[in-house]
Amino acid sequence: MTAGAKISDWLQQQTDVTVREIYAGWLQLGCKADQLVTLTTALVNHWRAEFATLLVEETSAEAPLAVHYLFYLPEDGCLIELKILVRPGEELPAISDTVHAADWHEREAWDLYGLRFSGHPFLGDFVLHDDDWPEGLDPMRHHFDGRRRPDVHGSGANWVPPKILQEEGSILFPIGPIWGDFNESGLWLLETPGEQIRYLHTRLFYKYRGVEKIAEGQTVDRALLLAERFAGASAFAHAWAYCQAAERIGDCTVPARAQSLRLIIAELERIRHHAANIAEIAGSTALSVAKAMAQGIVEDLLRLSARLCGHRYFFGLLTLGGLNFDLDPAQLTLLAETLPTLNGRMRELELLLGNSSSFLDRIEEMGALSPELAHTYGVVGPIARASGRAIDLRRTLPYGNYQTLPIDIPVEQEGDGYARLRVLFAESRISTALILQALQDVPTGPVRIACPLREGHALAWVEAPSGATFHWLRCAADGQVLRLRLGTPGFRNWHAFERAVEGAAFQDFPIILATWGLSVAENDR
Amino acid sequence: MLYIIAYLLFAAGPLLALLPGRHIPSVLAWSTMTTGCVLMGTEGVIAIDGPAAQPLIQLALPIIGPFYFVQTPLGGLLILITASVFAVALPFVARDASAFPQGRRALFLAIVMLTLAAMIGFFSAATIVSFIFCWELAAIAIWGLITFETRQSKPVAAGLLTLALSELGSLAGLVSLLLLASAASTPQLVGIAAAIPHLSPTLILVAGLLAFFGFGMKAGIIPLNVWLPAAHGTAPRSTSPILSGATLNLGLYAFLRIDAPIALHTPDLGLIILSSGALTALIGIIYALVEKDMKRLLAQSSVENMGIATAGIGAGLTFAAYGHPLLGGASMVAGLYHMINHSTFKTLLFLGAGGIDATTGTHNLDELGGLMKRLPALGGFFLVGTFAIAALPPFNGFVSEWLLLESLLRVVEIPDIPVRITFALSGALLALTSGLALTCFIMLSGSALMGLPRSERAAQAHKAPRTVIIPMGMLAVLSLLLGLAATLIIPVLGRLAAPLVGANPTASLVPAFFHLRSSIPLAVQHALNPIGVNVGAAFLPLRGLVVMHLDQTSAPVVYAMSTMLAFVVLILMLGGVWLLARGLRHKRITRSTLWDAGLTRLRPEMTYTATTFAAPVRVVFQGLFHPHIEEDEERQGAFVLTRSHRQVITNISDRLVLKPMISAAFTVANRLARMHKGRVNTYAAYILLAMVLVLIMVGGTGR
Amino acid sequence: MSFWPYYGLKRGIQTTPWPTTEEQTPGVTPGRPQASQVVNAEALAQGCPTDALQAVAAGVAVDFARCIHCQRCRHGDNALHWSEDFTWTSTGGIGLPPLGSRFRRSLHVLYIDAGACGACVNEVRLIDAPAYNLHRLGIFITASPRDADVLLVAGPITDAMRTAIGKAYAAMPEPKRVVGMGVCSMNGGIFGESFACTGGLGKIIPVDVWIPGCPPPPLAILHGLLTVVGRDIPTALKEQP
Repeated sequence: MTAGAKISDWLQQQTDVTVREIYAGWLQLGCKADQLVTLTTALVNHWRAEFATLLVEETSAEAPLAVHYLFYLPEDGCLIELKILVRPGEELPAISDTVHAADWHEREAWDLYGLRFSGHPFLGDFVLHDDDWPEGLDPMRHHFDGRRRPDVHGSGANWVPPKILQEEGSILFPIGPIWGDFNESGLWLLETPGEQIRYLHTRLFYKYRGVEKIAEGQTVDRALLLAERFAGASAFAHAWAYCQAAERIGDCTVPARAQSLRLIIAELERIRHHAANIAEIAGSTALSVAKAMAQGIVEDLLRLSARLCGHRYFFGLLTLGGLNFDLDPAQLTLLAETLPTLNGRMRELELLLGNSSSFLDRIEEMGALSPELAHTYGVVGPIARASGRAIDLRRTLPYGNYQTLPIDIPVEQEGDGYARLRVLFAESRISTALILQALQDVPTGPVRIACPLREGHALAWVEAPSGATFHWLRCAADGQVLRLRLGTPGFRNWHAFERAVEGAAFQDFPIILATWGLSVAENDR
Repeated sequence: MLYIIAYLLFAAGPLLALLPGRHIPSVLAWSTMTTGCVLMGTEGVIAIDGPAAQPLIQLALPIIGPFYFVQTPLGGLLILITASVFAVALPFVARDASAFPQGRRALFLAIVMLTLAAMIGFFSAATIVSFIFCWELAAIAIWGLITFETRQSKPVAAGLLTLALSELGSLAGLVSLLLLASAASTPQLVGIAAAIPHLSPTLILVAGLLAFFGFGMKAGIIPLNVWLPAAHGTAPRSTSPILSGATLNLGLYAFLRIDAPIALHTPDLGLIILSSGALTALIGIIYALVEKDMKRLLAQSSVENMGIATAGIGAGLTFAAYGHPLLGGASMVAGLYHMINHSTFKTLLFLGAGGIDATTGTHNLDELGGLMKRLPALGGFFLVGTFAIAALPPFNGFVSEWLLLESLLRVVEIPDIPVRITFALSGALLALTSGLALTCFIMLSGSALMGLPRSERAAQAHKAPRTVIIPMGMLAVLSLLLGLAATLIIPVLGRLAAPLVGANPTASLVPAFFHLRSSIPLAVQHALNPIGVNVGAAFLPLRGLVVMHLDQTSAPVVYAMSTMLAFVVLILMLGGVWLLARGLRHKRITRSTLWDAGLTRLRPEMTYTATTFAAPVRVVFQGLFHPHIEEDEERQGAFVLTRSHRQVITNISDRLVLKPMISAAFTVANRLARMHKGRVNTYAAYILLAMVLVLIMVGGTGR
Repeated sequence: MSFWPYYGLKRGIQTTPWPTTEEQTPGVTPGRPQASQVVNAEALAQGCPTDALQAVAAGVAVDFARCIHCQRCRHGDNALHWSEDFTWTSTGGIGLPPLGSRFRRSLHVLYIDAGACGACVNEVRLIDAPAYNLHRLGIFITASPRDADVLLVAGPITDAMRTAIGKAYAAMPEPKRVVGMGVCSMNGGIFGESFACTGGLGKIIPVDVWIPGCPPPPLAILHGLLTVVGRDIPTALKEQP
């Protein structure tokens, strides 16, 4: 009996919980608001379900808001969707006391929908900063016109920074929003009595572009560009997740050749993403030669990508129903020939770094996230795997050609900077092997079929280089996007970052930041 | 005559304050008392310039013995310092006193004046009786000052601590004086000094140590200095300048008076004084760095400065004991000079702290900031004070500290290895102290004056009392003058040091510009040297350069310095930069606001406080502080709602000396209590035993 | 014992010969469509999701301020020819002269991320890499506007960064120049103008030089920075067949 069947039985026994199996491996639950906390806590703590994302949908101005809590079971890939209807003005109990991964999701829903979660201690000043925006704007609601800047802008409350630490003479040491050489914008407030960081407040969304809002009303085809380009460093993964959602709605089967090539390109993107992250780690410890070596690999991978797909970041390659264009055999041969060399250079860099004690001194035991905290915060991707969590959507909820390919998942237990670095190296090695294996039998045939437009909604997911991404798409019959939800790994992992710097000294902050390798663009959307 | 008038004026002040009304009696009392101080200062100047000893009062009281007072040049210097400190502090004292009801006002002023009177008496005491009498009187008056303002438990506890430790010190000093007096069979201090060469070396060493640690306690010398920050931190803000600027000198004078003749025959005593002073200085400045209460910080820094002065005195006495009276004189001059300087800039800084307190209502550095813009005059003078205390040229702190470090280097003249090691270690401690002092006073001025105001009260500050600003201005000018005119002051101090070390160092103070190699014939040298002098004199209004020679034959340079020249260079450089900036300046000056990395608003809680500034020091000296850490966390599920962190730093002398002493005292008291249950004959036996012991002691020390 | 300097030297010179000689290594640029005389101009213009292509009488005109390299006009039967160049920089049209000779060998750049997607961030990081090495051109990155001569801004100018960009611009000493990097900074790119994006750097501060592209490759960024100093010449933003 699978875990999904067991949990289904258990749920049937609960009073006032309705269970509906939408299709095999997808359970939709309905429950009352006061059961929410116990039910979700049991899912996460007892059934070891992973929190995927939270999304709010507004069907019309009068109808209640639909709040979906999405979970999945890592063991057998069962998806659990908990749906609750809330009238505007009503409150929901906050589940983030126990399902802490939902903390930022609840704050986001409050800022963007005005949906209050009772019992949440830190609502407000999240996506919409208090010093710029007044309360009660709820920009994701339909009545809000997202096409132009509201007149109320700039009339918001005078923001008072949060303070957790009660220590005489302690300060909030600000880093950002403009800081460093090539850093992404964000504000980090280090609570400190000097030297040592006692608590960190991460204030992001300086780069909030309202992608989910502006996607509404666009055609499915046009919104693909948004899904592709809101986080350019893992553009292909996000575009793939979006395409899968659209293809699921259109019930379209992607040609085998396209599936194979999608996997190859996604893994290539993973290698490039990890190499860039390694370059940042080396750079943060002022190891210029190692940084240069990693950057050389990044640049060569980018050039290779441009030769394969015409674009250094694979922009424009994916389309609904397959790929925009085919890759010819010469290009695939080039890939098969170049990749082992690049992998060899990665391996060389890994050995050199592993023998460089001054470098290891700076990343070992640095920015550690314990397995317990990793579970509490529900982190994903290489960070989760460096903290002892063997989760990877390619294996737990396989999609595309991963359904047939066994995936090796590197797992480390320490959760420190070095563990993360080792995971990055191991994953790029595994990705290289995957590509070379997939290249051996790329099927022939077309790379694209027409994807019909239909009314409907779908959830799709991809293990992006930085972790699990979940895209929820709802379309109208004419192919207009009604709701696009981007549940990104950055949004999950930035949440946990605040716990990794506690106790570190000021000068370690950039190193810890680099070893986490988080993308602000992916978080801010 | 002047003494009597001055004392009458001291008494008249508080009486005038009894008059009804608020401002007029205060002004009357203030003018009367200030006149008294000026007269007393004049008397001090006369004494400095006067003969070695001029009897003032000679009362032979029954039972307690001769009650003599005498006017000496060294006493005159201390009287001048004390009277000056009181004179500049009195406006603020009178201002704060005017807020009291008249009876209380008169009492307050009476205690202040009693402190002054007792101190002046102490500085002219000639016998052990008058010495101890004035000392006790001053101790009680100081206790009155500290506990005056409020009846809250903390000041009273601090006052009691002062009194208790003061009595402990007095007791040690008294024992020392009695030992010496009975051995020398004279109650006259001069007589004791004269008799010392003939006394047993062990006895004088014990007496010297008792006097040093006993009286030195008043100056905050280790090991018993915990009372000082506690007491000065809780004293009324207007009396802090007096307490730190004037009363600390009591301790220095007391042990100098008793120990100087002893140390000339006991080199070890000088070394102990030197090393204790250096250690005191370091411990003082380290603890100053972790204070965020301005008054306590300044009090800890007083400990540091007293340590430096003590080290100078100790080095001087050691040099003299090893037969280098000229070198000794140079060190002694450095010590005395530092005492003067400390009185100047510490009075200035405490007045500034009091002024800030009076304006903003707080002296917590974490609640201040941004005062330079709001109180420019007070801020400017305060900054001069921090420059001076951090020993930055051309201010006075630099002169004495530089002189001291240079003179310590001359230990190469003493062949003894242990002595050299002691000097080297003390020099290193003092150098470290100077570096930390610089950090400390950057922290003080930075967190109080610069940046953004960190509290509403600091942001609202706009006008400091003139009773503080004008005296501060005078002291700031004095700090500069004492730095620039070092070459005029050193000869005076050299003369004062002469009786203590046996030679006047400035006798060999040669303001020569040229030092010629000895291969040059003597006649040529003699011809050239005066030319150097004249050239120097022609160029500079003062004797700009000080070169102190050991003697005329080998003529190694003891030290060479010229703050005047440094000042001229500084002025030239600043002027040059100013001219350069004027010349190169573009047609347009753009002023833009502070770069805050693009924050909507930089908030005060995002800027550095004294605590964050001193964090590296707390980390480095963690072993010394033995911080007691309390951590707590308030949670809601996985959320951290608040996190508290409390760190209590313990004082090393408190931990290593005072607490064990107290527990030992309790143990002894418990043991003694056990004896109290015996029979009558047991008590008789105790009495008998005590009598026998006293008889033996009298017999031993008698003839 | 670490031999990093040796490993570094062993790798030899990795740097591009540009601008001394041409750089023609494949993959250094994604290229961009060329205005051409084609028969089916209407269909091509219709297929362009950002209206970068316009059907004109002679064929297809390209507006590089709108082209996001979606490659939809690149493949297929009636594809446009894509050029493999990267000297894309054009002037912002506010008429300030280049910074001139005093800045030729010492140009300090402050980079601000105003909502860039990560591709621009990655490309701008690479100008610091040995392959492009901006220091050999006398260009340096600074973290403070007080030292900066050039403000380099990427992204669609999100609302939360408006204040920050204005403050940074005000904090820079004269003479100063502003470079907008990527089509997002020109008009918001695919994000356009919305409640959260101002959609164009030119709306808040005067911009001297635009570097189109999505993202502009490192060489295009270098070309833009050289253009600001006057060491290279700008090209047109619109191309007619």
